[in-house]
Parts: sequence; structure tokens; C-alpha cells
Amino acid sequence: MATAPYLEFDGVAKYFGDLEVVAPSFDLTIQRNEFVVFLGPSGSGKTTLMRMVGGLETPTYGEIRLDGQPIGEPDRERGMVFQSYSSFPWLTVAENVAYGMKYRLDLTPERKKARLDHYLKLVGLTDFADFYPNKVSGGMRQRIAIARTLAAGSEVLLMDEPFGALDAQRREGLQIALRRIHRQDAKTIIFVTHDVDEAVFLADRIIVFSKRPARMLEDVDISAELGPERTLELRDSEAFFKLRTRILKLVRAATGEEEKV
Amino acid sequence: MSTSKAILSTAAGGSAGNAASKPRSHPRKRTRNQFFAFRGTLSKRAQIITAAFASLFVLGLWEISTRLGWINAVFLPPPTVTIETLWNMILHKNLLWHAGVSTLRIWVAFSLSVIMAVPIGIAMSSFRGVGAALEPIVDFIRYLPVPALVPLSIIWFGVGETTKIFLLWLGTFFQLVLLVADDMRRVPQEYVEISYTVGARPAQMLSDVAFRAMLPSLFDNLRITLGWCWTYLIIAEIVAADNGLGFVIWAARRYMNTSEVMAGVVTIGLIGLVTDQVLRLLHKRLFRYL
Repeated sequence: MATAPYLEFDGVAKYFGDLEVVAPSFDLTIQRNEFVVFLGPSGSGKTTLMRMVGGLETPTYGEIRLDGQPIGEPDRERGMVFQSYSSFPWLTVAENVAYGMKYRLDLTPERKKARLDHYLKLVGLTDFADFYPNKVSGGMRQRIAIARTLAAGSEVLLMDEPFGALDAQRREGLQIALRRIHRQDAKTIIFVTHDVDEAVFLADRIIVFSKRPARMLEDVDISAELGPERTLELRDSEAFFKLRTRILKLVRAATGEEEKV
Repeated sequence: MSTSKAILSTAAGGSAGNAASKPRSHPRKRTRNQFFAFRGTLSKRAQIITAAFASLFVLGLWEISTRLGWINAVFLPPPTVTIETLWNMILHKNLLWHAGVSTLRIWVAFSLSVIMAVPIGIAMSSFRGVGAALEPIVDFIRYLPVPALVPLSIIWFGVGETTKIFLLWLGTFFQLVLLVADDMRRVPQEYVEISYTVGARPAQMLSDVAFRAMLPSLFDNLRITLGWCWTYLIIAEIVAADNGLGFVIWAARRYMNTSEVMAGVVTIGLIGLVTDQVLRLLHKRLFRYL
């Protein structure tokens, strides 16, 4: 893995009025093509941090840099995948994916068509290209969103609990698919979730957050322990189980009493 | 009374005993009464039959009550007389032409309202400054009763077409502006952010995504406001008009010709019904993805 800093949070803090959302001072460096999961209690401010990378919020203090450049307005370099309303209902699956390239003047129509086919295939939606989103499953709708950001040419994928509304089976399928996509089409991913299992399974690296205001509690290198390959069998392995328990304890401590069983 | 009760209770007891003693081999299809079940389902056919029966019942009651003299036919002419009058008015009194004039007025005034209300409404909810500036004004005018402004509008515009169009516009524009603003406000923020993060500029986001997203609810609101427009039509055409359905109704009233009044009212109702059905069908066609 490359060692040059790619995405840097430098002394970041965020206030909404008097409300402290991200505690000063947040520092984090993410490498290119790293799969980083922001894990923490709901409403902890981890989403806000991710949105700042997208340019959808601005830090009150500090700076976020991508490739050495301070982050400005939203840009197709940094694509978002939301939990809900993640695709446009009035466009077909293919049109939704193609929407990612709508404002790209650097691609010829033939090139766009080739990319569209490529990304539809990558996420396994080729057979559903002409369906409207309301006719496909929730999991497929999230695949649409992933394909759209990839087609747009995003270098950083910002995913805000994208699988949160899916049932367990679909979730697992999508997690495996996302890991596969990440390996085939290397991108830097920030994935926000409060699901420990999901975090451990997906991440190269997990940042565990406190309750609001968000503070980094722990920076866990998952790849060092589980390796880059993530399969269903891994889920049942002892290494996975131990890691999961360790992270779960951290999250419980962060959340406070509610988690006492 | 007591015997019937006894029969009921034995019947109930007998059936309960039966059900308990032998298990059902075939699960019977449930035929729970969906007619009055809260949010129950009813087949399309059953709905049409119900609608037809209800309409016929009202018409029949209306016919009978005037035929039997419960209500004086001079005040409320029965349906048969109304339809006959309607037919005669089409043949001899240019009713269709009057209806055409009214429809034209509606469409001119309503188009004007829409052309103005859509961009202004979108601007009001998209840009805080525009919203802050316009909302109090719109809210104030919205509550002004249109009939109360008739004298003023005559002073301003005389008794010609301008007054009528103005009154219709007044009745719909200010309502519509707020509805449009609401439609835009309800567009999910996610759509906006998706658009920006694939590289859209604000104008592109507005036209390609936000406007497209609000279209179905905008269409619904246009359909509803168009209905209101017909209400104001009568007010506009009562004032010094010599054509249009409002004029026909008002002129007939002067001679106590209630069947012609009724025929005029029914004509408006029919036009409304047809327009609404056409627009509903169009909505289904346009927004198949919903």
C-alpha cells in the first residue's frame, strides 16, 4: 500500500451553532485506495466528517486536503452513496448509472456507453438495465448508486450507512460485492456504519468514534489481522470473531450504559 | 323477538360446535367484508358498480322527490327536465359556444398563473432571500376574498376580458405559488447532493434533478388548482359579461328559469369531471415509474 498521505484531516472541528459535532481537534490521514470504516454510535458526528470530505459541509476549524489540495465545492472526484433516495425513480437503472457521466465533457458518447456497460456488469445489474428502481430490490438500488459514483469517475467513495435499510442476506451479499468492487476497481472508500460486524468484515481500517461530539477513540488496522481477502468463511473464523469482540467492546464503552446486557 | 333471538343463539352454537369437532379439510377463502373495512381493498369492478349505483340512487331520489311534489320543481327541477333543457340549450341557445368561451378564459388565466407561479414558487423555496421577501406578501394576498376585489378590478380594467382573466388569475396564482414552493421544498436533499457530487452546477441540478423530482406532485397541484379556477369563473362572468357559462346561469336566474340554471351548473360539473379524468390518465401515463 502506498504511503504518501492522500486524504488528510488536519485539526478539524465542526459546530452547528452552539452544538459541538466534531470535537477539536480531529486529525486523520488516509492512504490512497484504503477502505476506511467510520464506526460509532448513531448521531455521533461521523457522518458530518464524511460529508465534509464530500464538500457538503465545511469544517468550522481546520482543513481537509485531498492529494494536498484543500477540499472545496462538491465534485465528481468525491461521490456519495446514501442510505435512502440513493437513485432517481424517474430514470431506469442504466439511466441512473449514466447520470454519473452526464456532466463529463471529456468522454465521447461511445466511451460513455462502454463505461456504462462496464459498471453495470461490475455491480451485476446488466440484466436489469431497463428496469425502473421501484421494480428492483433495495439491494439493487444501492448497487445502482455505487455504479453511478464509479461511472462518474469518483476517486473517493463516501458511503453513508448504505446498507442500513437492507435485510441480513442482502446486506451480506452487498458487502461481499463491495469488497470485490474495491479490489477490481481500486478506490478510496469511507464507509460510515454503526454495525460492528459490517465494519470488521469490510474495512482495511476502522476508526472507532465516541458519542457526539465525535472524537477518535481507536484506529484499528483490520487488514493486518484479517488480510485483504474477505469471504463468507472468514465470517466464521476465530480471528474474525476475536476482532469483532474487541471492536464491540470499544463501541460499547463509547456508547455508554445503554449497551449493558 | 324472543324466538328470533333463540334461533340465532342455537344457530351460532351449532356452527361453533361443528367447527370444533371436525377440522376443515379445505381452508375456506376468506370473504371478509371489505366494503366497510378500514383501508380495505375493493376490486375495480366493484368500485365502478358502487359508484354507478350511488349516482343513480341520488338521481332517482332527486327525480322522485320533485315528481311527488316534496320539493317544488320550480326551485329544483328534476334530472330529466335538466337534461332536456341542457339538450335544448345546446340546440337553440349556443350552450356549447358559451362553454367554449368559459373554457378558453380558464385556460388563458390558468396558463398565466402557471407560467408565473412555477418559477416564482421554485425560487421562493430554493433561495432563502426570495422566500423571505415574497412569503409575507403572497400570504397576505392569498387570504383576500376574490369577490371583494371585483369592484376594484372593474375600476382598474373596465368590464372587458382583462377583468375576468385578472380575477381568475388572482384566485389561482397566489395559491399555486405556495403549493409549488412546497413541492420544491419536499424534494429530498439526497437528490440534490447526488447531483452536485457527480459534477452538476446549480442550474443543472435544478433543471435535471430538482424540477424533475417535483413534477408528479406539481402535476397534482395543478390539477387541483384548475378545479378552483372554475369556482372563480362564475364570479368573473357574473360581472358584466354577455357570454360564458357564468353569464348563462346568471341570466337564467333573472327569469327564475331554474332548469336553465341547473343545466348551466351541470355543464360545469361535466367539464370538470372530464378534465379531471383526462388529467388523471395523463398523470398515470407520465409517471409510470411511481
